[in-house]
Amino acid sequence: MTATDPGVDERGAASIEGYAVPAGCCDELIEDDGAPRPHAAPLLAALRRFGPRGLLEAGLRRDAIFMQQGITFEIAGTDGARRDRPFPLDLIPRILTATEWTAIKRGLAQRIRALNAFVDDVYHAHEIVRAGIVPWSLIVSRPSFARPVHGVRAPGGVYTHVAGCDLVRGGDGRWRVLEDNVRTPSGISYVLENRLAMTRLVPELFAGHRVRAVDHYPTLLLEALRAVAPATDSRPTVVLWTPGPANSAYFEHAFLAREMGIELVEASDLVVRDGVCYMRTTAGLQRVHAIYRRLDDDFIDPLEFRPDSLLGVPGLIRAYRAGTVAIANAVGTGVADDKAVYHYVPEMVRFYLGEEPILENVPTYLLSDEKQRRRVLSRLGELVVKPTSESGGKGVFIGPQASAAEREQQARLIEARPERFIAQELVHLSTVPTETGEGRLAPRHVDLRPFAVFGDEIRIVPGGLTRVALREGSMIVNSSQGGGSKDTWVLDDEGAAGDLAPGTLPVRRPPRLPDVRYGGWHGQAQQQQQSALPAACGLAGSG
Amino acid sequence: MNFAIRYLTRYDYDADVVDNLNALRVKPAANSRQRVDEFSVRLQPEVRLHRHADYFGTEVVEFEVSRPHRQLVVDVRARVSTAPAPDPPESSWDALSEEAYLEAGGEFLLATDDAPGHPVLLELLERTRAAPTPLATVMLVSELIPDRFDYRRGATYVDSPLAHVLDGGAGVCQDFVHLGLCVLRHHGIAARYVSGYLFATAVDGGPESVEVDTHAWLEALLPGDRSGEPVWVGADPTNRGLAGERHVKIGHGRHYADVPPIKGVYRGLASATLEASVTMTRLDGLDPAAIARA
Repeated sequence: MTATDPGVDERGAASIEGYAVPAGCCDELIEDDGAPRPHAAPLLAALRRFGPRGLLEAGLRRDAIFMQQGITFEIAGTDGARRDRPFPLDLIPRILTATEWTAIKRGLAQRIRALNAFVDDVYHAHEIVRAGIVPWSLIVSRPSFARPVHGVRAPGGVYTHVAGCDLVRGGDGRWRVLEDNVRTPSGISYVLENRLAMTRLVPELFAGHRVRAVDHYPTLLLEALRAVAPATDSRPTVVLWTPGPANSAYFEHAFLAREMGIELVEASDLVVRDGVCYMRTTAGLQRVHAIYRRLDDDFIDPLEFRPDSLLGVPGLIRAYRAGTVAIANAVGTGVADDKAVYHYVPEMVRFYLGEEPILENVPTYLLSDEKQRRRVLSRLGELVVKPTSESGGKGVFIGPQASAAEREQQARLIEARPERFIAQELVHLSTVPTETGEGRLAPRHVDLRPFAVFGDEIRIVPGGLTRVALREGSMIVNSSQGGGSKDTWVLDDEGAAGDLAPGTLPVRRPPRLPDVRYGGWHGQAQQQQQSALPAACGLAGSG
Repeated sequence: MNFAIRYLTRYDYDADVVDNLNALRVKPAANSRQRVDEFSVRLQPEVRLHRHADYFGTEVVEFEVSRPHRQLVVDVRARVSTAPAPDPPESSWDALSEEAYLEAGGEFLLATDDAPGHPVLLELLERTRAAPTPLATVMLVSELIPDRFDYRRGATYVDSPLAHVLDGGAGVCQDFVHLGLCVLRHHGIAARYVSGYLFATAVDGGPESVEVDTHAWLEALLPGDRSGEPVWVGADPTNRGLAGERHVKIGHGRHYADVPPIKGVYRGLASATLEASVTMTRLDGLDPAAIARA
């Protein structure tokens, strides 16, 4: 696969020469004049040597391996049927310099500290509300505001154990936060698998770069979970709770559990007795100290959240309230990454930390505010509109790409329920050369989701998941909407030590047991009614 | 007024069940109009009780029976004294848009999404639109609902959607309250669901001890007179009018699901039969021996 004949070499060179950075955008590897940026020069030279045919062949091997290993993403086809396809890894990496990464890392750590403080405040003192910064009416109107954990302090005061904030880079080259994800952000398994695949499929591309490792993420996560686990034992039991194989991110759940050497459990494996959470094992019940859960609050405890969901672990919130188990991320963190709350995050940084935010927000407008709404409606064609309670790119309206009819329909939706939407200035996402078929390279828009882990302190794996919109001109990078991904390289500083030495992982436990004999859960509730005698109505005094 | 309340619930299971976890919201609230002199919960099988106050301030009693059992008895007793409600403030509509009112209203101002655009709901909204003051609207709502809907047991279930009530034209107190909340919030009046006990007898006389059920009514937030603090005013859309001394409040929430008297789950391949009774005895004027028995 390293063999290149002169013809291929020439076409490879030609494909970069024809490369046109979209107007108003910043390309991360190529300067406006078509020359490689200095930090990317070795990569582009390697790509030239590699040639289009080399890229194509590596791509075919990649798809075969991903399908075989189940590294897939489930998408709904146009016919509505759901099918797996290989997670589309573009073989051209994205490269960040050490200086750039240091700034991002500091900005993220700052933001996550503020978000964590906000979650604690929302469920306790309400200081930011009393200071007149965030309106209480906004908080109580968020569907993710979790009343059952009012007054409950998470073990160690950590709520946002895993954060995956989405960053974008505008035409001015500056990084901004597009949205925060502090519920159950997914994608880290692709970061690790992408790196592994790259080193196997195209090791030549790494020549001339010192790329920082990412494979210690499971160690970082496990250390963080152990750090918050309320246990006197130095080896607390940590489990990963998955909703099950039907979940679109099940691959990642299984992957992380395996990499961390912890049990992958479902609700039926967990039980709460006397305010303590246990896991069923061959040797009986085993105390659980920390749960890395990959499902929403709504489904974790039918006694406290949705009563119609009998999927959860009844009593888990009791155990949590009693402080006997850590839940990561903590219950109720969704109030911090709500799209309508996002607007206030820079203020949170100033309020809780007394610092100026390092990373800016994308300018955002709250449509429940009449003045802002009117201004937004008058320039709907230039803005992006998002529903506040959706994720995964669902329901996103992009003004410049919408027809007149679509704009009109969006305006009607906003007028009907303004509090359900926010509007944002359109960011001209930066581009990175991407293979577009036949081994040719063209600019495609990207974002970046770095993964931060918060236990004793905040640690961030170098880089993160770069998502790329594979369609020309598209800025929607969500994998559910036809996006792909790239390996993200953070270059090592001259002389700087590696990020972290991987720690030792525990021995894998025996597989979980089938459920015991008592079967599923049943709900019991009484309807509230007044009296057996309808005659009683109207007889009672009115006070 | 002084009451003794006994709330007895019995679940019989036709096979062994385990991990029976329950949360009770049954303790009368302590507030400016209510004093709780005694409160006890006894369980069969006997297990430990855990108590905490929830987000809305309601005391929650939690317990769990983990070992196999076929019967669960929850025996709740309370002694409460209540005072009449003060006269509600007669404030104007303008006060509803003031910042202090909106802050105090919080989540109880948020529209309920239960049955948007339902023709019967639209009719109710239309008929309650023209009231001269927020208080008049509250009174009107608690008259109009029992006029327009039949109180009928079995017409709805514990989790019936509002549309079911609107379609069927009948429901129980819980449904009437949800309907009232929906209408009041539409008019910009903060309103919350109240769970409690009602001493439902004839105003003068009648027996001093009655079999009732847990009851539901609502509280609407009315701006205070002469720019005073907004106050929550109880109104009972099942019984036409404001809540008074006979209403013993347990707690409140946005809707039923925030203050269910009993909520629980158990594991087992068994079905349960429920027997529940609430007995309220008025203690005023009873001789001490009778009070001791109550």
